[in-house]
Amino acid sequence: MSKVKNWQLKREMEYAYDEARPKKQWAIVFDLNKCIACQTCTLACKTTWTSGKGQEYMFWNNVETKPWGGYPLAWDLKVLEQLGRQDWGKNGSYEGKTIFEGAAANERAVHFHPKDEDWMYPNIGEDDCAGQVDSGGHIGALPHDKWFFYLPRTCAHCTYPACLAACPRKAIYKREEDGIVLIDQSRCKGYGECVRACPYKKSMYNPYTRTSEKCVGCYPAVEEGLQPQCVVNCIGKIRVMGFINPPWKARDDNPIDYLVHKKGLALPYYPQLGLEPNIYYIPPIHADRAYLQQMFGPQVDGAIERYQQLPSDPVAQGLLTLIGSTDRIIHRFSVEKQRARGFDEWGAELISVPVTEQLIERPAFDEKAQAVRNNTP
Amino acid sequence: MTRLVLAVAALWVGAALADVVVVKISQSPAAADPKATYWAQAPVTEVSLMAQPMVVPRPAVTTTAQVKVQAVHDGKTIAFRLTWADSELSAAGRLGEFSDAAAIQFPAGNGEAPPVVMMGSKDHPVHIFHWRAQYQRDLEQGKPTMKQLYPNVSIDMYPMEFESAAASNGVTERDRERYSPGRSEGNPQSYAKSGVDEIIAEGFSTSSVQQGHQSAGRAVWENGQWTLVIARALALEGGSVLAPGQSSFVAFAIWQGGAQEVGSRKSVTMTWTALQVAAR
Repeated sequence: MSKVKNWQLKREMEYAYDEARPKKQWAIVFDLNKCIACQTCTLACKTTWTSGKGQEYMFWNNVETKPWGGYPLAWDLKVLEQLGRQDWGKNGSYEGKTIFEGAAANERAVHFHPKDEDWMYPNIGEDDCAGQVDSGGHIGALPHDKWFFYLPRTCAHCTYPACLAACPRKAIYKREEDGIVLIDQSRCKGYGECVRACPYKKSMYNPYTRTSEKCVGCYPAVEEGLQPQCVVNCIGKIRVMGFINPPWKARDDNPIDYLVHKKGLALPYYPQLGLEPNIYYIPPIHADRAYLQQMFGPQVDGAIERYQQLPSDPVAQGLLTLIGSTDRIIHRFSVEKQRARGFDEWGAELISVPVTEQLIERPAFDEKAQAVRNNTP
Repeated sequence: MTRLVLAVAALWVGAALADVVVVKISQSPAAADPKATYWAQAPVTEVSLMAQPMVVPRPAVTTTAQVKVQAVHDGKTIAFRLTWADSELSAAGRLGEFSDAAAIQFPAGNGEAPPVVMMGSKDHPVHIFHWRAQYQRDLEQGKPTMKQLYPNVSIDMYPMEFESAAASNGVTERDRERYSPGRSEGNPQSYAKSGVDEIIAEGFSTSSVQQGHQSAGRAVWENGQWTLVIARALALEGGSVLAPGQSSFVAFAIWQGGAQEVGSRKSVTMTWTALQVAAR
C-alpha cells in the first residue's frame, strides 16, 4: 500500500499504487437541477458502445431517480452500509475510512458483488418520491419535504480507481494523456474483480465475450477534441466534459476548474469512498440536505447557496451558457462584455454566445400592418 | 506477512514431500478418460493445498485442502488424474457465476532448477494446464449463446445480424465482431474453449494463453467430487519437457466456483511436488 494525496478528502489515504496523476484528467460536470431523466444520454451511449451480444442490460451511462433508484439495485446503500460511519471533520477533512482503508487484509476494497438480477431493472424507482405526498400537501419552501432528483452516471475515471487496484491480471490501466481508465480487452479474463471492487458499479461483465467492460470515456472522440456522446447528445444541456486539474494547479479560465475549485458549485459524489472520482455534480437545490450531505460531502450547503446566487455572477452565468453550445472540448473560457467564449487547447475560439438573450418587447397591435399580433403560429 | 507465509509454507513442505510417481502403462492415456481401468495401477499421492496467500484479492479461507493425484505415461503422453471434494458443480455462464477449475503447473524447460512455484518469474517461466468446467462445456456443447444462458431473453436484433443472406449485404463475422470487444481484440477468453488452456507465465499477472493445442482434459463430477484427467505430450517444445527415467516438478491449484473463486482466489500448493517419470 502507498500513501497518496486525495484532495477531495483533504488528507492522505492508502492506495494499492503510488500517486501518479495523468497529464490531463477527463471530467464531467452535471447540473442536477436541470436533468429531466429523458435518458437521451443513456441511449446515445448504448447505441454507440453497448448494442452487442452480452451487453443487453449493460448501460455504461445510466440515469437513476434518487433516493429509490439504483443500477445495479441498491449499489450505493450496500457499499455505504459496509463502510460504517463516515464522518467529516470541521475543516472539511474526512475522518472515516475509505473503501481501501476499510478493506479486509485479503481484499483490495470494501465491496460487494451484485447478483445477476440486480442489473435487470435499470429504471427501477423512476420518479418515485422520497415520501408519501399527503392529501392537500403542497410544496411551499426549499428544500422540499417530499422530493426526488435524477442522477445521471458514467464511469468517473477516478484518480484512484478501485477496479484498477483490484485486477490481479493488471489488465486495467489509466491513460497518462487524459486519465481515462480502460480495461484491456485483449488481456481481461473476466474474473470480475473490477465488478466487485468498483463501489459505483461501473465495471460490468459481458457473459458473451467473458470479459469485463466499462465506459471508455468516448476516448476516440476525446482524442479528436470532441466531448463524449452522452454529453453532446444531452438535450437539457446539463453536462459538460473537460479536463480538471487538482486544486493546487487549478486555472480560473478552465471551465471545470472554475465550477469545481474556484466557485465550489460542483462536487464529487460519494467522495468518502476514497477514489477521487472525476464526475462532479451541481447538487439539486430542492432535495433533502442530509441525503445530499451523505452523497456530496459537507460542502453541499455552500454549493447550493452559491448556485442560488448565480444571477448576480455574470462569469459563472456566462460559463453555464457555454455548456451544451459546442461539441468540442472547451479548454479555456472568457466572459466579457456580455459574451461568453470557449477556446480549444491551442487558444482558437470554438464558440461565442451571449450571456443573456436579447429581449425584444413588441406591442400587441402592429400599427404598420394594421394587424393584431398573436403567439399562435 | 512474508515471515508468516514462510512459516506456513514450512508446515506444508512435510505434507508435499511424497513424490508423484508416473507409472508406465501400455495403453495411450491421450483420451484423458477419468474412468479408464489403468488408473488402478497408479499410486495415489495426497497433496495439500492452502488459500493462495500472496496476491490480493485472495480467499479468506482454504476451500480445497487436499487433492489426490495419480499419473501415468506411455512413453509419449503423460496424464494426471486429480480428485478433490466439491459439494456443487459450477460451470459459470451468467453474471456473478464462476466455474470450478483446476490447474497443473510444470517448470518450462526440463525443470532441473525449478522456477518460483508461484507462477514463475521473469525469464524463469512455468507451463500451466488450466481446466475449467466452463471450458469443458464449450468442448462438449459449444460456447453457449445468450439464448442458452438466458432462455427468456428477448432481443429485436443484434448489430449486423440479418435474417436473410440477401439483406446482410456481404457482412462478415469479422464485421459483427466489432460489437464484441473481446472477440475483435482476439482475446482467447472470448472464443469457444477446448477443455484446457495451455498457459505460459513469468510471474503473477503475466499468464498468457498459448496458441495451438497439445493437451486434453476431461472431468466428471459425481457424489460431491470432481475427478479430472489432463493429458499432454511428455515433451512440449518451448514448454515443459519431461522424459521417461527423469524427474521434474509439478504444482497444483483448485478453484471452487460455487464459493466465488476465480483468478487469484484459489487454493494452491505452496511448494513444488517432485515428479518421478518411470523409465519402464
